[in-house]
Amino acid sequence: MDGKQLLAQMKRLSEAETIKDVRPLTAAMFPGTHCPLMGAAMAVRGISDAMMLIIGTDECTYYTKHFSIHADNFGGLNGRCVSVALDGHDVTFGCAKKVEEAFDEMMAEYHPRAVFLVTTCVVEIIGDDIDALASSLSERYDLPVMTVHTEHFKCENHLPGVERTMTACFDVMQPQVCDGSANLLGQRLGDFQETELCGVLREAGVRVGLRLPCGCNVEDIRKAPAAKVNIVVDDTALPLARRMQRAFGTPYVLFDKYVSPARIAACYQTLFDALGLPLPARLENLRAGAEAACEQARRELRGVSYIYGNTPFRCYEFNRFMAEVGMVPQLIQTNAIKPEDEADREAILALCDPYVTKTANIAPLQYIYDALHPMLYLGHEYAARLRAKGIALVRTDGAGNMLGYEVTSFVVRALCAAAKEARALREGGAA
Amino acid sequence: MSLCRYLPTPSDRMGILWSLLCIEGSVVLEYGPAGTTHYSVSLFGSLGVDQQNRLFTTHMSEDDVVMGDVSRLERALVEIDEGYAPRVIFVVASSVSAVIGTDLRGVCAYMQEKVRARLIAFEQGGFRGDYSVGLREAYRLIAQHAIAPTDERIEGTYNLLGLSAGAYRARSDLNEIRRLMREAFGMEMRACLLMDTDMETIEDCGKAEINLVLRGEALPAAEILKKTCHTHCVAGTPYGYAGTLDWLHRVGAALGREPNGALVRELEARHAEAVQMRMYGMMLRRDRPAATIYGEYELVRGMAGLLEEAGIPAVNQLSAHSLHALPEHDPAVRHLPVEKERIELMRGLRRQLVLADEVSHTLLDADNTFVCVSLPLVNGAQVATHMPLAGPRGADYMLEHIGAYLDTLS
Repeated sequence: MDGKQLLAQMKRLSEAETIKDVRPLTAAMFPGTHCPLMGAAMAVRGISDAMMLIIGTDECTYYTKHFSIHADNFGGLNGRCVSVALDGHDVTFGCAKKVEEAFDEMMAEYHPRAVFLVTTCVVEIIGDDIDALASSLSERYDLPVMTVHTEHFKCENHLPGVERTMTACFDVMQPQVCDGSANLLGQRLGDFQETELCGVLREAGVRVGLRLPCGCNVEDIRKAPAAKVNIVVDDTALPLARRMQRAFGTPYVLFDKYVSPARIAACYQTLFDALGLPLPARLENLRAGAEAACEQARRELRGVSYIYGNTPFRCYEFNRFMAEVGMVPQLIQTNAIKPEDEADREAILALCDPYVTKTANIAPLQYIYDALHPMLYLGHEYAARLRAKGIALVRTDGAGNMLGYEVTSFVVRALCAAAKEARALREGGAA
Repeated sequence: MSLCRYLPTPSDRMGILWSLLCIEGSVVLEYGPAGTTHYSVSLFGSLGVDQQNRLFTTHMSEDDVVMGDVSRLERALVEIDEGYAPRVIFVVASSVSAVIGTDLRGVCAYMQEKVRARLIAFEQGGFRGDYSVGLREAYRLIAQHAIAPTDERIEGTYNLLGLSAGAYRARSDLNEIRRLMREAFGMEMRACLLMDTDMETIEDCGKAEINLVLRGEALPAAEILKKTCHTHCVAGTPYGYAGTLDWLHRVGAALGREPNGALVRELEARHAEAVQMRMYGMMLRRDRPAATIYGEYELVRGMAGLLEEAGIPAVNQLSAHSLHALPEHDPAVRHLPVEKERIELMRGLRRQLVLADEVSHTLLDADNTFVCVSLPLVNGAQVATHMPLAGPRGADYMLEHIGAYLDTLS
């Protein structure tokens, strides 16, 4: 495979306005993106008294149960992930009756407080009306039964599964009197307790109410409208936040894992305005620390080329940050171009015009390395394989427990360390 | 009775995938949503199946599903052929492409002119049965399309048909059977269908002197090879001492030579020792020894035979997969397709020797004696390749457990 030929088929960022414009490196991919069914499982596992009933092939149900057995908080083998495995007969004649029977068995044995009926590709193709079934089961058992559709042929990766599961929780919510708390919406990984943002809120006397989907129960979801504000830490929670704003008047603040200190400052300001509280004084010091990290980045990272894979940060905001400190993005792997990203995309384009391609296709990337010779790779890759090509891996998963100015310092440290390693590799010595 | 609380029985497609992925020099291309492929990585990894540059997916978009557009499959075939130069590309349907009726064989037929690799289509999308059906299809299609017809023979060689990476201790059993064949007949394995092998070996394996068919699902493949390569076969797996002796004699009869005398005498002696264990069972005042076996069909039958040697009746012989793909089966072995029936059966066992999987283990009362003989593993992974369930070494291992079990009875 010729990396230059592969690149010749890729589009530049300036040529891609929607994700449909972005091409995969190759038509044959490995390992491919994650499935929205897995995204749904990731979200349901955090709701401690809810069940996940998957309706799908033996294979879909097998892999999800396999995932759930080893996932934290899902209850292991006897846990809250169960399924209805469809056969050829169900595909031909419909699966509603079978699902109903399974539901009855599940209710008798597990006594959940809410149930997510999660459909898969085949159910969506045969067109069984699982929404109607969920409504009737909800009425019969007097508990929330929510449908989550996870057909992968209509979306790019697992995130719609997370998003739809969280959005489905809206049906559980009931109007409440405001208690001044803040909900945390969209944190899938890491421990919020460990974040800078959590510490700042704690010091300001703000109680965190619902934490969806990283640790809550059905009652927490029901009472969520009591919050004064929703803190949205990931785009997957935006549809839910918008519905809550419309239905209950709860404002939301998008406080994602931003890297730029100015953006983080704006998040803090909006959040404390929404809470009706003064901005804590110590944020100034935190911002000064982040700005100092940016100065270091400008000194040490100018000219450092990289390929961007998958990180816990916002793709375009992070790439803009790196481009603005003088780094050179050669190829950006992405699975979405959203209207919210437009300003960042334009800022990147003002400085450079990298190639864009879709994520989760490691195999042909090997040939791209030989064509572009980047110094750094950001994302999940085999470090030894990269080192052999003179490329240093930037490890960013440690940012899972971070929100706020701490992200900037962490990122700059990781980039500077990797750049140093890459220079050493190119000089022929060990890093 | 539709709820699946634990892991469902793997589908035909899964059995096909883990079999084909064991063939170096080939590539498996899935025509379906990418998520299924990514999801499978963890399971196949735990089975010791290498996927690096061997497994690819095309992904499918809504347009592909609605319009039946196969152009991304066509592009992927050309790319893989040019980029990896495999001898064979197995094009495997997904549940989605199977339901919408994509004609994979048709695509492979016209794309064959554009690629150097041989294209073999597997149209099962997970709806034609469980993995047992998938294994049968994998063995059958490989025998039909990949093994070159021949009349030539290479003396002293044999093929193993019916190995599966999805079987518990499969690699250990493979090593034990190779050891046995070397010791008994001085013969060496040529190809192993389908585990830890490569395409070149498979294509050329028709020259072996004999095919040893370890599971019923591989019998149709053996029949094909009888016709195309005129190779005789012997069916069955050597479990237990008596079972191993019988197997060796049957192999010897097919080869027209006797198994090594010293080995035969050693096995006869071990069998005699096992039979003596019956006395311990007869000396018990209160309990009567009994066993339940849950696992793959051949293993269940083999273990029932070994337990019989030691005087322990296997009162429940349960196949972990359907029996449809077997040409014939022992009526003593049942398959319980409804999970709840198996759960209730396992929960009801008392003071038995239970040979089963780790899921069953979690259901057992503590007064039973459990031995793992079947996948899935819930915790941990298989590492050893020298701890077989088959052959005399497997029988030795089981005999230790039988002794421990008898000690628990009064």
